Formats: sequence, C-alpha cells, structure tokens
Amino acid sequence: MLEVRGVTRRFDNLVALHDASLSVGEGEFVAIVGASGCGKTTLLRLIAGLDSDYEGEIALDGQRIVGTSLERGIVFQEPRLLPWLTLWDNVAIALENAPLSAAAKKEAIAAQIALVGLSGFERAYPSALSGGMAQRAAIARALVGHPSILLLDEPLGALDAITRMRLQEELLRIWRHEGVSMILVTHDVEEAVFLSQKIVVMDTHPGHVTATVPVDLPTPRDRASPAFSALKGRVFEALHDNAAVKPPEVEYLI
Amino acid sequence: MNTLSSVLAAPPLGEAGGRPQTLPRSGQTLLRWLAGSGAFAALRRYFAQRRYIGAILPLAILGLWQASSSFGWIEPVFLPAPKKVVEAFWYMLTKQDLLKDVWASVFIIAQAFIYGTLLGVGLGFAAGLSKPVELFFSGTINTLRHIPSVAWIPLIVVWLGLGAPAKIVVLAKSIFIPMFLNTLQAIRGVDQNFIELAQALKLSRRQLIRRVVFPAIVPVVMVTLRYSVGLAWALVVIAEGISGLEGLGFLIFRAQNLLMTDQLLVCMVLIGLVGFGLDRLLFLMQRRLLRWQRSFGGGYA
Ligand SMILES: Nc1ncnc2c1ncn2[C@@H]1O[C@H](COP(=O)(O)OP(=O)(O)OP(=O)(O)O)[C@@H](O)[C@H]1O
Ligand SMILES: [Mg+2]
Repeated sequence: MLEVRGVTRRFDNLVALHDASLSVGEGEFVAIVGASGCGKTTLLRLIAGLDSDYEGEIALDGQRIVGTSLERGIVFQEPRLLPWLTLWDNVAIALENAPLSAAAKKEAIAAQIALVGLSGFERAYPSALSGGMAQRAAIARALVGHPSILLLDEPLGALDAITRMRLQEELLRIWRHEGVSMILVTHDVEEAVFLSQKIVVMDTHPGHVTATVPVDLPTPRDRASPAFSALKGRVFEALHDNAAVKPPEVEYLI
Repeated sequence: MNTLSSVLAAPPLGEAGGRPQTLPRSGQTLLRWLAGSGAFAALRRYFAQRRYIGAILPLAILGLWQASSSFGWIEPVFLPAPKKVVEAFWYMLTKQDLLKDVWASVFIIAQAFIYGTLLGVGLGFAAGLSKPVELFFSGTINTLRHIPSVAWIPLIVVWLGLGAPAKIVVLAKSIFIPMFLNTLQAIRGVDQNFIELAQALKLSRRQLIRRVVFPAIVPVVMVTLRYSVGLAWALVVIAEGISGLEGLGFLIFRAQNLLMTDQLLVCMVLIGLVGFGLDRLLFLMQRRLLRWQRSFGGGYA
C-alpha cells in the first residue's frame, strides 16, 4: 500500500505540486492523467525516491520512503537504456546488487525478457531496437527485481497507435502475471480507462489532484462499449472542470 | 592498392555467357575459383561504385614523376627518378639498418602513447570525479598547454640528453594534455539521466563508474587518442630532427643536409606509412570498443 499525503514540491518560486494526495492498494493499477506540466513526472520522481526535497508524506506499507529502492521500479519517460550494453546486460544491471545466485539471476533475466516478448534479442544493442522494443526492454529492467510497485512515466507516449495498443495489452498481461502495483502516468484518457482500476486526474497552476475516478468496468474491456465511453466522458469532464477559465485542451479531444 | 592490383591482375572475362565453355579446363577452374572467392563481385563493385576514380590522381602523379625524370625536366638532385628512390630504399634497408631507425621512432611514440594516455585519462578521470582534484590541476594544465610542445624540446634535451627519454617526455606531454582535458570534459558531459538511472537501480559508486561513466567517455577518449597520436607522430619527426642520433626524423634531416633527395623521399613515404599504420591500429581498436554504436556497424551478430 502506497500513500501520498499532502505532498508539495516547490522549485524556487514555482509550485510544481501542491498538496497532492493519492493511494495505491496492494496490486492495484492506478493511472494519472493531466495536462503537460501539472507535475506528473515530479510526483513520480518523489515516489521513486529520486527527489526528497518535499513537504508532506510518502509512505510505502506504512514506512516513509527514503531514497531509491529496488522495491519501487521505475520506467522513465524515454527508455533510457545504456547504449553500450546489450539488451540482456541492460536488464541484468538491475540485478547487480540483488542477493541472488548467478544462476537465479540468469533465470530471472531470461524469464523477464520472455515476458515482454523480446526473446531472441538478448544480444542486441539498443541502437538496433525499435522504439517499442526499447520501451519493453525498459519495462523488463524495471520488473526483473520483482518490485512491489512499478512506476511508469508515459511509457507508451512516443509510440504509434497500433504499437501502443499492443503494448497496453502486454502491460495488462504483465500486471496480472506479476501481481505488482502500478502507477501509470499518461496523456491518453482512453489508455487510462482501458488499463487502470482508478484514475487520478491532475491539473496545472499549481500542479494538484482535482479528482479520483474509480474505474469499475469488467475485464477484458471493450473500448467500443457504451460504459467505456461514459467513463471516458467522466474523466474528460474532470479534466475540464478545473480548467473553466482556460480554453479546452485540444490534446484530450481524441 | 589491394583492389587496384586485383583489377590489374584479373583477366578480362565475365561478360559473355558462352565464353567460359571455350576455356581450357584449367581456365574453368580458375574461373570457378574467382567466382567463389568473390573476385567478380569485388570487380563489379569496384567499377560500379567508380572507385577507380580515386586511383587516377596518384597514378597521374606517378606517371608525371616518371616522365619528368625520363625526359630530364627536373634535375635529379631536386627530384630523383622513382627507380632511384626504390633503390635508395633497398640500400638503406640492407646497408644502413633502416628498420632500426623506424623502430627507434615507433618505440618513442609507443612509450609516449602509453605514459601520456595513462596519465591523461587517469588524472582526467580523477579530476572529473572530484572537484578539488580538478581545481588543483586544471589551472596549471590550462596554462602549460599554451607552450607548444616544440618549445619544450630544448629544455628537456638539456636535462635528459639527446636519447629517447627526452623525446618520450615531450611527446607524452603532448598526448597527455588533450587526453586530460577531453577526459575531464567527457565526464562532465555524461548524461545526467544515466546517473539518475544508476541511482534508481541502486548501483554503488564503483558500479556507476564502471558500468556508466567509463563506457560513456570511451568515444571521446578514442577520438582524442587518434587525434593526439597523429600530432605526436609529427612531433617525433621534428624532435628527432632537432636533437637526435637515430630515427626517421634524424634520417630525413640528415638526408636534407647531404642533399640525398632519394633518401629524403624514402623517409617521407615511410613516415606517411607508419603514421597511417598507427592511425589504422587505433581505428581498429576504436571500432572494437565502440561496436555498440550504430555508426560503427553496431547491431548484433
Ligand atoms: N528540476 C526542475 N527545476 C525547476 N522546475 C522544474 C524541475 N522539474 C520540473 N519543474 C517544473 O515543474 C512543473 C512540472 O513538471 P513535470 O515534469 O512534473 O510535468 P509533467 O506533468 O510530467 O509534464 P509532461 O506531461 O509534459 O511530462 C513544470 O512546470 C516544470 O517546469
Ligand atoms: Mg513528465
């Protein structure tokens, strides 16, 4: 159980995040949507422990988080693979300090690479991977240490619609298979509704949480169903409620 | 040269489909062997890509050179005939122990290369990882680098004499300075995102250096190496010319003083060839180390 309570993060005069709160249950899939610059990456970095300069409280299983931990895996906004390591070594580097035998590590790495569908590319360098493959490799790297929570910062944002839909299915499969809690940041409301059990809606100036929308649709979800559309509508509404003074964001009119 | 000689040596065949049948058995064997060895493909590529265009100018110059000596356009003391130069080469090789001089020069640059690189990368690394170390060294080094290496030679020779050590010191210094500055700069330029990644993966400082920082600076280090070894090779020649009793630089300046233009030309060609060889060696090393880069034909195999 991850709990974020009243978290505020300032950069000099800019309030990037104001009094943000959310919670993620054991094995829950939570999506965060919001306009560019509303503090989504900032929040994820705080949860990851890459940034500790904040007010408020972030606790995992009742313990305030301090620094980074292999318990909290993160997939950055870009794949961020080390170009001088093969795909295998890029995944293996996450187990560098794991208390496992060499054989157990090997097994875990191979299994994780298979899970993201990259078997056969173990010896490929990142320069030889497509964008979608690189992003899947980054997911494998974040998952291989079996974190209890996985933080995904727009992992599919830079991909084409077809690849994105395929990887969405894959994310769901991985989530079910691993039983890991997930926080997925996305610009794409449909993606959020398709994947998550709960959607946290954020807005800018200053970055804050405006609403939390539970997604109580049965799985597998049908993107064309009326219930799906209705929920999408509710999220759009939540996104725009708070933006009454601003023109509607074209970004969300998909 | 390789492709050129294979072109000249290859018999004119391959166009007519019926022609191989009229060849004698040995001819057919040769043909099959040529086809198998890829000589046809190489030949076709050579002409299709118009590689021969690159051979025109050197051949023309060679021809002009031969003509000018055959027709007596230029005094032999200014430009001896190609044949004379080849003879001079053979004479130097067999009677004057030319290889010893080549080796003397290569020995100097090899040692300078090792010391200069180790010290430059080592100190550059230390300075890159620690601000106090950087502050301690960079002012001095940035000042010293404005004194050209050639200007160091007289003083160092006064200290260390005419032998190899003085030259090794000067050359090592000339390799050290760009190595140090560029290593430092490369470490400062390591992508902050990778540092953050290492943090998220809980890598120790040692692991961070070994897995992230070190590989990240290899491209810059290799380019600097090739660049500075090129400069240092030129400097060997000058240093040996100014003060020395052996080596290619010594020979070339001696040949000038004695107006032995044929030997002078031999030295020039050799200096060029050795320089090319050194760079080639470093290039192969670079390609090996950087095979992860796509521009080096990376990918996977
Ligand atoms: N290191 C920093 N220094 C100063 N300001 C920062 C820093 N990091 C983020 N900010 C500011 O905080 C705000 C939120 O940034 P953040 O990266 O969290 O946005 P985001 O919601 O992830 O946006 P996007 O969807 O475009 O990725 C922005 O206004 C940004 O300029
Ligand atoms: Mg972001």
